[in-house]
Amino acid sequence: MTTKLLVVDDEPRTAEITAELLRRAGYAVEIAVSGSEALQRVRSNSPDLMLLDYEMPDMEAPEVLDSLRSGADRIAFPVIILTGARHAPGDQVLGIERGASDYIAKGTDRQVLLARVRGALRERAGESRVIVNGRLRIDLARGQAWLGENALKLERRPLLMLQFLAGRPGEVVGRAELLERVWGTSYSGFEHSIEQAVHEIRRALKEPGWIETVRGIGYRFVIQP
Amino acid sequence: MESATGSSSSPELAEALHRLRSTLARLKAELELAQADGTPVPAERLLGDLNEALAILRAVEQSAFGTFTVLVVDDDARLAELTARGLRRLGYDAESAGALRDQQPRELIVFDLSLASGISETAKSALRAARPIVVTGATDPGSRALAASLNASDYLVKPVELNDLVAAIKRRVAVAR
Repeated sequence: MTTKLLVVDDEPRTAEITAELLRRAGYAVEIAVSGSEALQRVRSNSPDLMLLDYEMPDMEAPEVLDSLRSGADRIAFPVIILTGARHAPGDQVLGIERGASDYIAKGTDRQVLLARVRGALRERAGESRVIVNGRLRIDLARGQAWLGENALKLERRPLLMLQFLAGRPGEVVGRAELLERVWGTSYSGFEHSIEQAVHEIRRALKEPGWIETVRGIGYRFVIQP
Repeated sequence: MESATGSSSSPELAEALHRLRSTLARLKAELELAQADGTPVPAERLLGDLNEALAILRAVEQSAFGTFTVLVVDDDARLAELTARGLRRLGYDAESAGALRDQQPRELIVFDLSLASGISETAKSALRAARPIVVTGATDPGSRALAASLNASDYLVKPVELNDLVAAIKRRVAVAR
């Protein structure tokens, strides 16, 4: 299925050219030229990601973000804020507290723009899912995993890691990808965090044969018979 | 008389604005020429000029607002970008690179020590001048000495939590002021 993006900018030419760049990268792109139009479009057809101009006459980005949340504790899709000016840190923190995923200055290279779009989409993918694999069931929303009837005692990181591996059974998942998907934005950078998590997962599962170490590369969730 | 941005930044600002105007003027002249002669627009050269203009504009903004860029350099490019994104979310203007590149003014460098062996002497002396924050996976005294030889403002051992990196950035900025 094609990934749907919504580009919001009060300057139609800016919106159109941004949309065109993204279309050429294979995304289906819609445009909104005001904050209120953006909110309308989201209500009728929620995008997979929104690129939002910070400065618009009818609403600034923080206000749009607040409306998107409307009671929920988070926005259902990632929002990248495009800024015409480099803001003082205070403004950016304001956006973050309201749920933006990333920032990008207008005029940034198109490759960088595309990389940030991909990054934000990757980060959001695979969250809040229930995964069932053999006797193993993982429910991230409830922060719990079960093997058969037994609830597994796992902290957040090992649980996320188990969920991520179990979501791609039989596939070798590299360390860099695990760090990105499980450890998110912290510069944890290192092996021993991953090893520790694997150790905890194995201990919680209490039986061997679920997660295989692929030396020098990463880990594999073994396809269950 | 002191300006709002501090007396020391004014010559920097004036210089950047001067360069911006001359780059834009060159761009305009090229386009006027192409239009007058009916010749094709030299797209590649004009794009180069525009990129230069945007880079100067950034220098102007940073000088005017007293902000700076953090460049995270790590041989693991994805990890570098994750770190940069984390910093952007905390309000920093941050970028990532998988290898050291030419440094820009008002750029603060977070440098993965494992890349130190592969850089030229020229790059090394530029890095020394930038007083990088050095990040390393090893704790042996050798790497600490190597970090010291790069004139590191801070030395962090992986795994580095984002908060610790931010603290190092704040220390580095405080020293610069």
